[in-house]
Amino acid sequence: MIDAAGIKRLLPHRHPMLLIDRVVELVPGDRLVALKAITCNEPWYRHLGEDAAPEEFGYPRTLLVESWGQAAGLLAVCGAEASGGPTSQVMLAGSMSGVEFHRPVQPGDVLEHRVRLFRALTDTVIFEGETLVGGEVALTFSRMVMAFRPGDQLRPSAPADQVAAPAVP
Amino acid sequence: MSVTYSDAAGAAPLDMDELRGIVADILEVDATDVADDADFMEDLEVDSLMALEVIVVLEKKYGVKFAESELRQVVSLRQAHELLTQKLRAR
Amino acid sequence: MTANTTNSPVRAVPEVVRRASADAGQSGLSSEVRFRIAPEEPVFAGHYPDFPIFPGVCVVECAHRAALATAPGDGAIALRALESARFIGPVFPGDVLTVRADWKAADGGWTYTATAATERGTSAKVRLGFRTEVTP
Repeated sequence: MIDAAGIKRLLPHRHPMLLIDRVVELVPGDRLVALKAITCNEPWYRHLGEDAAPEEFGYPRTLLVESWGQAAGLLAVCGAEASGGPTSQVMLAGSMSGVEFHRPVQPGDVLEHRVRLFRALTDTVIFEGETLVGGEVALTFSRMVMAFRPGDQLRPSAPADQVAAPAVP
Repeated sequence: MSVTYSDAAGAAPLDMDELRGIVADILEVDATDVADDADFMEDLEVDSLMALEVIVVLEKKYGVKFAESELRQVVSLRQAHELLTQKLRAR
Repeated sequence: MTANTTNSPVRAVPEVVRRASADAGQSGLSSEVRFRIAPEEPVFAGHYPDFPIFPGVCVVECAHRAALATAPGDGAIALRALESARFIGPVFPGDVLTVRADWKAADGGWTYTATAATERGTSAKVRLGFRTEVTP
């Protein structure tokens, strides 16, 4: 079990983009289960008009993807540290494939992200999994490919072609 | 033009076109673009991360596991076919 | 420029440069939409403190908003799947992100294949699956 304070030590993300509240199951290098509670008080809902229809309260799908991605990032970091892997390196989201949205997520729902290691290589790791809401599958994630790159590559001053995508999606 | 490489040990030969379809899906290109000897990187403008992903998906689909060194050498459909055939026979 | 009253994590408003024409579905009917990614975008505060970089999923979100702004036909469409996303280059505060995309008819909806780029080059390649909403 990792609480919010522990998560902040593992992930660089901060408000409003820290989208994991708790890790409830962890087998380093193998699988992880993490939670995120959805509330209508999140900053994204601030701009919704007073007459917004109920379905407009559906949590932004790309943030569901981001939240699951951060759960995968946690497994990657925990996996790397556990096996003495590269911790001075930065994790970059390389690609995502086959992400299906099965049902809308509403304020009051609790996301249960399940992440499993698909394949690990020296500088690349691939995950798969799904997100449950109330035991029902809300999102399925066929593959997320994350690359470990030396940390210094990410300074904005670094030449653009070298600076790869953002660390952890 | 599709050639099915018969397998000495009599195991069902790995169909090249089935493999071509899977690889084309992952690379999001038409199967006709994935010629037997087309180099993933040079000819199909695939980056190294994507080439890796192709091979890893094939590993899962055919239930085999390559050593990382083997996996990184495969950059064409024919090489994937040869490595898979070898691994399937060794199983 | 209509205000953005959605709960999207990206506040920038899509500026449609070219809309896919009515008879989309043939290849090459591409649309083009531009987003000014201002330093004030809320995501930058937490992604990451003193090293703002636009999250990959927000580039996907821009492709999604661009799709909604240029959807062919008149029926409402809803995002069914992020079929694939390839993150190639970073987007920084102040960049202008241009999304060029093709629409293709797919069973039950559309496939939207987009390339998002800044002045420095390609940032991401995104393929989205939409289903046409059957209005009751």
